[in-house]
Amino acid sequence: METLGYLMDGFGVALAPHNLMFALLGAFLGTLIGALPGLGPANGVAILIPLAFSLGLAPETALIMLTSVYAGAMYGGRISSILLNIPGDEPAMMTCLDGYPMAQKGKASEALAISAVASFVGSLIATIGLILLAPLLANFALTFGPAEYFALFLLAFATLGGITGKNPIKTVVAACIGLMIATVGIDNTGVPRYTFGVLELFEGVDFIIAIVGLFAISELLFFIEERAGGGKEKMKVNKLSLSWKDIREILPTSFRGGVLGFVAGVLPGAGASLGSFISYTLEKRVLGKKGYFGQGDPRGVAAPEAGNNAASSGALVPMLTLGVPGSGTTAVLLALLISLNITPGPLMFTQNADIVWGVIAALLIGNFLLLVLNIPLVGIFVKLLSVPPMYLLPIVTMVAFVGIYSISNTIFDLYFMVAFGVGGYVLRKLEIPLVPVILGLLLGPEMEKNLRHAMDISDGDWMILWDSGLAIGLWVFAGLGLILPYVVGPILRRRMRTPIEKGMPESD
Amino acid sequence: MTFNDRIFGVLMIVLAVAYGWAATQFPEPFGGAESVGPDTFPKLLAVVLALSSLYLIVRPDPDNAWPWNRTGIELIIAVVVLLLYALLLQPLGFIISTTLAVGTLCWRMGAPPMNAYITGAVSGVVVYFLFSFALDLALPLGLLSFLEMN
Repeated sequence: METLGYLMDGFGVALAPHNLMFALLGAFLGTLIGALPGLGPANGVAILIPLAFSLGLAPETALIMLTSVYAGAMYGGRISSILLNIPGDEPAMMTCLDGYPMAQKGKASEALAISAVASFVGSLIATIGLILLAPLLANFALTFGPAEYFALFLLAFATLGGITGKNPIKTVVAACIGLMIATVGIDNTGVPRYTFGVLELFEGVDFIIAIVGLFAISELLFFIEERAGGGKEKMKVNKLSLSWKDIREILPTSFRGGVLGFVAGVLPGAGASLGSFISYTLEKRVLGKKGYFGQGDPRGVAAPEAGNNAASSGALVPMLTLGVPGSGTTAVLLALLISLNITPGPLMFTQNADIVWGVIAALLIGNFLLLVLNIPLVGIFVKLLSVPPMYLLPIVTMVAFVGIYSISNTIFDLYFMVAFGVGGYVLRKLEIPLVPVILGLLLGPEMEKNLRHAMDISDGDWMILWDSGLAIGLWVFAGLGLILPYVVGPILRRRMRTPIEKGMPESD
Repeated sequence: MTFNDRIFGVLMIVLAVAYGWAATQFPEPFGGAESVGPDTFPKLLAVVLALSSLYLIVRPDPDNAWPWNRTGIELIIAVVVLLLYALLLQPLGFIISTTLAVGTLCWRMGAPPMNAYITGAVSGVVVYFLFSFALDLALPLGLLSFLEMN
């Protein structure tokens, strides 16, 4: 009941006119970002963070806007999957399987509408799950001591690649690079570290600059290499003729997909890609011969869409309650929280209750907004698909420049951003994932602080790090997170990849 | 070919050693040594990075090809354009530098030059006015500052 009261307060925050306006703006921009080729959700949210800053938005407004962008991007990703057979991001892959055949049969607008409804159902289930689960998990997390937190951070890194990840050691290398960058600057004993006497480095490396550089600038360079070229040919979108019966038919599918997706989203190491994969395969099993999956079955569109949207809301659970994001996009949202001076984690539920519940309420509202936006406005988003990346990406880069410049008005930050962009390009070429680098940058200070507290408590005895049952459990899971990809990864990956060709943007 | 990971691994080991060595040179914090000083965490990182880089050298993944051709030159051009954009943002002002930077990038990515620079100019002007009027944030006008309304 307490939760319900908080949620009501949350609706009070989220329904304030200016918050509602920014939610709408965010939902629109998010769908746009998701639909545009070459701009994944993590990218989109990253570029918008500096703008949210320089606008001087209140913390809850900024968060509401960017959460809506996040939700919107997940909706938008399906548009290019269905119409162009090009998934906007990795979780949208499975939608191609039946979405594109549907579009080829001249049922593009039905496929779009069905996927919008399925996304809505998936997100709704997951948001309800979030409302029920988050306070419980937050309460539980209050029992964590510094040693448990240290182990939890390790777990976050270890599972970041996901059990479908390719080479976990590269995740470790990436995490180390991120953590190392995080140690630059004056530490909390007052000793300057790795500053080389450069004044700009004394305050440390601003992770927003790093994120925008790593995502946006490296994306530009990647596109140049792949010969961006002109826009893709547009699929004709027919007039929508969807009856209630069609919607009713996909509801059970969406429901199952939503529940599975939510679970996949909450669990460390699973994430949205696996969420949509599991939902699709399960649906295929459940329906068996009755379905015609792979040839444009509406349920084959609904299942993965419900799954990936549910997973992306589910991924907010560990981010909000533990301060440990499980995906690139939630890591970027965490960056926003930290830079707004809000410490994510269990205490946020008591200290910043209005913000947390405002965001959760905004997710619910954003969902309705997105459904309403998506069915009539789909034509606009479809038109945008034909914007050629050769015009789009330079403009996106310019927006990134403006955003970073407007935070501090210094040119030094821009050079830094370009440097991160080049670095990000090289790392991606080497198949070193970027998300652990960012997570390292974000969690580095907290991780060191917890290590220090743990050591202070134990008076320098390293055994404290695995002294409690909980801590041991976390260590074991972290270990599994690194070992499992070697064992089950290849099998799962093969099954996920077989139907689809490669070449996804880096993000999820 | 498995050169990329090997070379990267070697570079990372060099980084780990340099980083770890630098950590031993930190001055002792004011108030005496603690169980976890400023150097403990960096040393830990250096060890982990060195070990995982060693693994990369021993078991490298197959290489992705580097663009040692025209594309590589295009990439270098793009980076130079970005650096010049940053350098010239204040002296030339936002609108002019954006026209040049966005225009050049669009052009190099394959757009016809006219369209490219028009895109640059339009996007620059739109963003400038959006920022100064709707969002109330000042972007530098630079060469165009004589247009400024007082």
